Amino acid sequence: MNSSLNFIGMEVSVIGLGLVLMLADLFVPAERRRFIGYLGIGVLGLLLLFSLGGDGSCSTFGSVFNGSFVNDPLSLFFKRFFLVAAILVLFIAAEFSDRLSEGSIAEYYSLIVFALAGMLFAASANDFVMLFVSVELITITFYVLVSYQRSKIAALEAGVKYLILGALSSAFMVFGIALIWGTTGKLNFTELAAVAGQYGDSKIFLLGVLLVLVGLGFKIAAFPFQIWAPDVYQGAPTPTTAFLAVGSKAAGFVLLLRVLFSAVPSVTAQWGNLLIVISGITILYGNLCALPQRNLKRLLGYSSISHAGYLLLGVAALNASGQAAILYYLAGYLFTVLAGFLVIALVLRHLDTEDISGLAGLNQRSPLLAATMTISMVSLAGIPPLAGFFGKFLLIKSAVEAAQLTCNHGYYCLIFTALAGVVISLYYYFGVIKVMYWSKEAKDLTIIELSAPAKVTAWVCILGIFWLGLFPNTVLNMANAAAAVFAVVVK
Amino acid sequence: MHVGLQHYLAVSMILFCLGLLGVILRRNLLVIYMSLELMLNAANLALVSFSRFNDKLDGQVLVFFIITVAAAEVAVGLALIVALFRKRQSAHVEDLTSMKL
Repeated sequence: MNSSLNFIGMEVSVIGLGLVLMLADLFVPAERRRFIGYLGIGVLGLLLLFSLGGDGSCSTFGSVFNGSFVNDPLSLFFKRFFLVAAILVLFIAAEFSDRLSEGSIAEYYSLIVFALAGMLFAASANDFVMLFVSVELITITFYVLVSYQRSKIAALEAGVKYLILGALSSAFMVFGIALIWGTTGKLNFTELAAVAGQYGDSKIFLLGVLLVLVGLGFKIAAFPFQIWAPDVYQGAPTPTTAFLAVGSKAAGFVLLLRVLFSAVPSVTAQWGNLLIVISGITILYGNLCALPQRNLKRLLGYSSISHAGYLLLGVAALNASGQAAILYYLAGYLFTVLAGFLVIALVLRHLDTEDISGLAGLNQRSPLLAATMTISMVSLAGIPPLAGFFGKFLLIKSAVEAAQLTCNHGYYCLIFTALAGVVISLYYYFGVIKVMYWSKEAKDLTIIELSAPAKVTAWVCILGIFWLGLFPNTVLNMANAAAAVFAVVVK
Repeated sequence: MHVGLQHYLAVSMILFCLGLLGVILRRNLLVIYMSLELMLNAANLALVSFSRFNDKLDGQVLVFFIITVAAAEVAVGLALIVALFRKRQSAHVEDLTSMKL
């Protein structure tokens, strides 16, 4: 028993941290509560150092709790990813604290930490029970995080929309799990992979897998389950939106990868065309709908749909290089998107509107923020030498490999769609940059004072984007090691 | 008449589809939420009947997890709907229109 607890040491400490942050609310006076976040950042930073140094629970590989919880290179990659994301989001939340109702920031911090715990469990889930519970831990925490500004009608509406569609998707997922378990009698991914081949003809089993994919498709906002994303991104408080865009999407992808490639690889091999179609439509839908948007967060909501499409391209390639490319792309996406939301949180927090015009004249108000936003947008669009370019390059390369191997012309159509999507996206990403540098309608040109933590966060994001774009090897090696997990399962 | 696994599964499928219809067709948030619970319980029924007829207990354990999670979801969800009702004086989906292009 003691040894199995060693495996979940990181998750236990994160949940403990969440409880401490929540209790700290009682003992710290309201005006000093925003500094509680730095305690959380410190503890998460220590956990990240342990995991990078190779100590700590997440680096001991193996599986515990009857194989339902597994620590492997894939979970290690994602645990580091989620820790970095949560640390940066806590920084953004600390900057955003004056927009939340008086003194309630400590609870907000602890909810972020609880959502992080759900993501850490999701990274290690190797069992449908674990998958369901970790997804729900993330989703239910996000219901609260999304509607945290209770006085804003948009936040409540966003929360209710997320609630209804989230509950609908989890109902689909549970029914899918019931059908899979009913036909095969297995809940564990490894055991299921061994028998899944025999059930390839069973309609009920295939329906079950499809329903589970519906539930996960909702988490990553893939077509046709993307309908919630723009509204929720727009209505939620900016730090929540940032965490939703990065953490929740990545958790969806790690579970999707585990289900497709470690639980039912034999079914996935048949469904390549379905994945190609979904990926293509998601890319086009996200990019085309983003074109007319004037609300910055809504625009990033549509852009996040299109990025889910690009990531699905790596899933559809059905090979190890595609899986590694997904992990690499997510790492680049983390710094890129958080840089964007940091600027939105800092610049637009005192304006009533979230319109793009709110960024007008940002170059004169704060050159650092304007540069951060520019780099973020350029990286999202996928221009060299930034992280977004190299990620897209790897994804498309994996699709080309798949096309050559299988002679499936669908892959060439998909690659063409992805490139068309990149061209379309240039228009709206550069629209944002244009407003910051060349807009004449700036009314307010007061200089924005940045706190030291905000500057640090901006620099971390900028350096992260350049580091991943210029020196991809470190992260790429980690991603390759993580993707190798699935190769073992197939043999 | 002997009642077998397929009868339970048929009932569970019917409940699931009824719940889905309710979510799609009804306009009141509370009714939609009840329909969602119906869908979750349809899944529970399927799990329990598979469990009974296959002589395995994993499904029943999963049902306990689902019930617990659903309870947490309802607690948060009803609080949200009540908060929205206080602001809007309405629990109809047609009124959720403050965010549009």
